[in-house]
Amino acid sequence: MIDFGALMNALLSQTGLISISLGNIVMILIGAVMLYLGIGKKYEPFLLVGIGLACIVTNIPGSGLAEPGGLFYYAYKGVELLILPPLIFLGIGAMTDFGPMIANPSLVILGAAAHLGIFVALIGAKILGFSLAEACSIGIIGGADGPMAIYTTVQLAPHLLPQISVAAYSYMALMPLIQPPVMRLLTTKSERRIIMKQPRYVSRLEKIVFPVVIIIIVNLFLPPVAPLITMLMLGNLIRECLLLDRMAETVSNSLLNVITLTLTIAIGSTMKADNFLTAQTLIIIVLGLVAFVFGTASGVICARIMNKISGGKINPLIGSAGIASVPIAARVSHKVGQEENRNNFLIMHAMGPNLAGVFGTAISGGIMLALLGH
Amino acid sequence: MMLSDDITGALSLSIIDFILSFVFIAGIGGILYLFPYINKLGEVKENKY
Repeated sequence: MIDFGALMNALLSQTGLISISLGNIVMILIGAVMLYLGIGKKYEPFLLVGIGLACIVTNIPGSGLAEPGGLFYYAYKGVELLILPPLIFLGIGAMTDFGPMIANPSLVILGAAAHLGIFVALIGAKILGFSLAEACSIGIIGGADGPMAIYTTVQLAPHLLPQISVAAYSYMALMPLIQPPVMRLLTTKSERRIIMKQPRYVSRLEKIVFPVVIIIIVNLFLPPVAPLITMLMLGNLIRECLLLDRMAETVSNSLLNVITLTLTIAIGSTMKADNFLTAQTLIIIVLGLVAFVFGTASGVICARIMNKISGGKINPLIGSAGIASVPIAARVSHKVGQEENRNNFLIMHAMGPNLAGVFGTAISGGIMLALLGH
Repeated sequence: MMLSDDITGALSLSIIDFILSFVFIAGIGGILYLFPYINKLGEVKENKY
């Protein structure tokens, strides 16, 4: 006689139902909200679809996808072994024109000025009891550079990767809401109306030499972040040499999409209830916001100073673009400028500090990695 | 670790990092000022491709 009760019990014990916890259910709901925001509200779907789905799957007990041997586990290995962030940079390099940065070298300094937020968040995190390595990882959220935040965190505080990557990418998507009030508060109406001089023409030869020079400088002076910047510049060289069109197309589209999907799955797979549902997560999210606000403010203040020195030739709104997050921050500068003067096209001027911000974040992260002995 | 894991370490790291970031970025900016001179070396004709 078959004991159906025992059979059903055996079957049930093989499912996740028996061991699902309240934390798992909360995380599944968070994953579902991410999917809703990504698909329903079209709010960074490239990131939220992968992260949301992986978050749901990871919190279903027994699925095993995020456990050793599971597919998501190997996706995370790509992050842990620092393979995916440099490949993301390869794709970004292949789709980026560094001409605006080469054309206006004086604005490059804004790429460093807009990173005060990193250090405010770092000191804040230390005061709140995080270790120095954890505080550095939290601070780098203020660099508004997702791959760089992941790259630094994996080496300094890998257990904080889900919180930091979610905070970094969320705030990057929210920059059009976070930055404008700070920008308006720190500038006058007349400053926001300043129309800047057209940048000079940048030749093909300059655009080809630029990535080579940057690769040499970074490998020479900042080896900890050399993999990221080298790949960024390799992607850019592939684009600018005009001989590798098919490769540039593949790297900036197909490869970037595959790597982004793998990266988002990897991030989502780390969002386990016991790791994510903590008071630490809330503190990290608040500190991330502090970092973005201070970074925006310091960039705008530095641009105001440069405007005074130059005799009114620089629109201070481009200062906030130094926070990196290409091209979102540059678009925000342009949009706030157009609210005051519809004939003011700040986008190309803001792209210079915006691209410099990528290097600024990489420099800050590289110095942290070097000084903390990793 | 070269820095102490306390507030002093965090402050020291922040100050050093912020200043060095300016130095490195200013260095890159300085090199970019020289870029127009590259054009005197030659020209890459874009329509050649």
